[in-house]
Parts: sequence; C-alpha cells; structure tokens
Amino acid sequence: MTSDAELIGRSLAGDGQAFMEVVGRHEVAVGAYLARRAGREAAEDLLGDVWVAAFESRSTYDRSFAEARPWLYGVALNRLRRYWRSRPAEDLVPDVTGLANGWDPWPAVDARVDTQAVLRAALARLRPEEREVLTLVAWEDLTVADAARVLGKPAGTARRLLHQARMALRDAPEVAALLTDLNSVKESQ
Amino acid sequence: MVDEMDLVGQLKAAAPLRPDAYERARTTLRVAMIPLPGAAPVRRRRFSPAGNRRGTLGTLGKVSIGAGFGAVAAAVAIALVATSTPRSAAPAGSSTGASTGPAAVGSTLVTLAADIKASGGSVQGNASLAITTQVIGGKLMQAYYGLYTDGGALYSGDDRKTLVKAVADHANQADSVDTREVAAARYAANGNLTTARELMVNATPNDYFLSLAARQKIWAKGAAARQALMREKGIKTPLTMPTGKALQADIDDSVWNNSIDSLTWGAANPEIRAGVLRLLSTLPEVTVVKSTAGGQPTLTLTAGPALLEGGKQVLTINAKTGMPISSVVTLPQVPTSVETYQVSRVTLAGVKAGKF
Repeated sequence: MTSDAELIGRSLAGDGQAFMEVVGRHEVAVGAYLARRAGREAAEDLLGDVWVAAFESRSTYDRSFAEARPWLYGVALNRLRRYWRSRPAEDLVPDVTGLANGWDPWPAVDARVDTQAVLRAALARLRPEEREVLTLVAWEDLTVADAARVLGKPAGTARRLLHQARMALRDAPEVAALLTDLNSVKESQ
Repeated sequence: MVDEMDLVGQLKAAAPLRPDAYERARTTLRVAMIPLPGAAPVRRRRFSPAGNRRGTLGTLGKVSIGAGFGAVAAAVAIALVATSTPRSAAPAGSSTGASTGPAAVGSTLVTLAADIKASGGSVQGNASLAITTQVIGGKLMQAYYGLYTDGGALYSGDDRKTLVKAVADHANQADSVDTREVAAARYAANGNLTTARELMVNATPNDYFLSLAARQKIWAKGAAARQALMREKGIKTPLTMPTGKALQADIDDSVWNNSIDSLTWGAANPEIRAGVLRLLSTLPEVTVVKSTAGGQPTLTLTAGPALLEGGKQVLTINAKTGMPISSVVTLPQVPTSVETYQVSRVTLAGVKAGKF
C-alpha cells in the first residue's frame, strides 16, 4: 500500500486526490480524537478545519515518516487549542484559577458522568502536556515516540511527561483508592 | 492488576461522529483545495466546485470522491480506492442490469449536435481555450485558463501570463484520463452511442460492464474491509452491490461527469462538442429546456438529484453553437458554485506569443 508520505508527496505535486486518500485513511481516528476532547458536536464542526489546516501545511510534513496519523493529531490539537481559546470561559471552565493556562478546558469536561468524574478530575489536574501524552498513548494507541511527534517534542521529553502523568495519577488519593478497590476485587475473585 | 493507564483507558469511549460529518468535512477540504488566483495552477479541474462525481460504490469500491453526494457510500468509497485500470469497451452485459439506452433520435441535443457537425467545416486554429471564472457563495474563488490542443496536450494557468509560461515551458499536464475522455467524445460525434457511452465510462476505472458473477466476486473480496469501515463510521444500513437501477444511475453519472470533463478540455472543438451533446442526450435524468441568457438563445441542461444524488448541476449552453456558457452546482450544505466560460479557438503558437 502506498504510504501516507508518498501520497502527501503526490499531493504536493498537484494530485488532489492523493490527499483525499490520506483523509480517508485517518478520518475516523482523527474524528474520534476530536470527539474525545471536545465532544461530538464540536468535533464534527472542527474536522473539516483540521483537513484544511493539514492540507495547507502539508509541505512541512516530514516525509521520512511513512505514517501521517501522529502529524494529523498534531494538526488537530492545534485546531482544538484555537477552538478552546475561542470559547467563552464560562462554557469551558467554571473555575479557571487552578489551570496552567487559559485554553485548558479539562476541568469542565463532562463532569456529568458521575462514574467517571473522579478520573476526569484527576486528569484535569495534570499539566496539559502530561495529559496530552497520556491520552495519546491510552486513547489513541500511539507509541510514546509518536505522541512526541504530535506535540513536536523529543521522544525523551514525551517519555518523561508520560512518566510524570502516571505518577501524578497514581499519587492522587481518589485514583489510588479506585485502583485499590479494583485490584482488591480482582484478587478476591 | 489494574493500573492508572487502564483507568484512563476507560474514558476512551466517545460518541462517534455521524457519517455525514465525514462527508461535510471532506467537502470543506475540497472547497479549500481550489487554488486561489495567484497560486500555482492545478493540473486539472472540473466544472463543479470540487469535482461533481457521485459518491457511488461500484463493486471495486473505486470511484472518485463525491462532493456531498451519496454521503454514506462516499464515506466508504473514499478508503476503498481501487487500482484497477479501465478496460476496453465491452458489450453491456444484461446480467449487470446496465441498459445503455442510446439517444432519442431527434432530441434537442442530438439535433444541435448534428447542426454543429454540419456547420463545423474547416476549423481554424489547433487548440481550444477555455477561460473559466468560478464564484462560490458569491466570492470569486479562481480563474482558470485551460488550453487543450487538438493533439491532446493540456496547458493551464491562473491568468494569461502563467498560461503563456506553461506553453513556453512545454508543461503538458494531460493524462490518460483526459485522453480517453476526449477520444470518447470524438467517437460519439459520429459513432454508435452505446459504444461511445462505454468508452466514456471506461475513461475512468470501473467495473460496470463486467459480468454479474465477476462483479460479485470483486464485491465479496472487499467485503471485510468495507464492513470494518462501516462499523467504524457507524453506518448501520448495509451496503449492497449496485445492480439494476442503482448501477444504471452510477453509469449515467459517469457519462455525465466524464462528458462534462471532456467538454471542459475541448469545448471549442466542434467534434468534441457534438460528441458530448450526443452523449448527454442518452441520459434520461437530464432535462433540456430552451432559455435565453444575455440576449442569446440558450439551452439549460439540468442534471438533478436523480443523477447527482442530493444536488443538481445546471449547465447552460449556446442553443446554436453548443458552446458552454455557465454551470451552477448546488449541493446540500455547500455554497452554490457558479462558473462562467469564455471559450475560443486559438493556435498554440498564438498563445505562446501571448496573442489571445
């Protein structure tokens, strides 16, 4: 199968259909990536913007990477950040005082889901880059190296961020309690 | 042993995007892919804002990407692009359900085609120049200068200067699809229309004229990938291999799109124009109405939802010469695209010298 890198190269040479093929390969994954972070409605609105941004910046794609998905996640993340910045604060964060920066919406994400609220709250307390690496690995099934590509950081940095994120979660009392409960139930079975 | 990564993984689930959201996103991209004036010229273009191909899913799962048409099918088709090559024209097998109804002799388009051929005589020049301006949602999106020579070379530019440069640089952008489309149109000017339709459809990869058994075999081969993709995209309605009317609509769609393509390249060539009109006359989904535009008698050809699922394309041509004047493409949730054409007969040397 033709690699994403080759298709992007063909696209740069004027073959518009080639880029549409890249889109076809990754649209479900990128759509899910957006939906996990912004909800379905917003994801549906943002997906087209992501393709346009990716298309317009495809000349910057490093074609030594055959697979474009991490790069597309990076484009999507940039678009998400712009989206978050454009949202009224009250739509995102009831209390922004504890956040690392203004665009971070996580403390307000889906707290309605009570059973998951503990985890979401713990995620919300992570630094944005720690959380991004963690969720890229846990949700998008990326390797740490690919997560580093998304963020435009060295793999070593991504590894450190992932380690910090895991430690922070493990040390959070409510998460520790959840883990203890779950593992004790497993042991008793 | 459950760890924190497992816990985070529990939050992975998210409501999937609705299938039409993917198509809307692709349409946004297609519109954005249209180069703005001043940008490098694209190799080829089409009359619609983003290619007006129906999002059909042939047995091969090939086809081009629709611009809002058949969102569900297109959503699947996009990832199932086949690598087949066009076949030589083969008789339409009855088992495919494809009836290639030839022209109603005496129809308006056939009559006009005959008039064009009769008045064609010796044609000056050796190339067709089409200057197209496209306005989408009231905003000028691009101008396109396309030069197609009788010898089959294609040069393009965003303006006079870039077109002259393309010719001077011998930047021939024609490909085998263009060549096959134009050849089919030329054949249609005088040849058997059933054969001409097949030639035109076969200008782009398809499986329409294979036997039912052969198509089913190909369909079955792609079933697993198709189903997996449908699952991912949340498509509930099972896709079935187009047969009968659905297959006929796909074939007619190809005839429409490929014919319009060849008209794009060779509108100033009377043989191509006549052939295209004869081909379009075979489409029962296309209505032809007498009209006027700018004080001149025109014909308005409308390919409606029956042909272009969910949208329509209105092509206006000069009622006496068949020269294209404008095209209006209306698609759901996409700004209307209006294109106007200035078509003339020129010489390659003249264009190279800036005389046009």
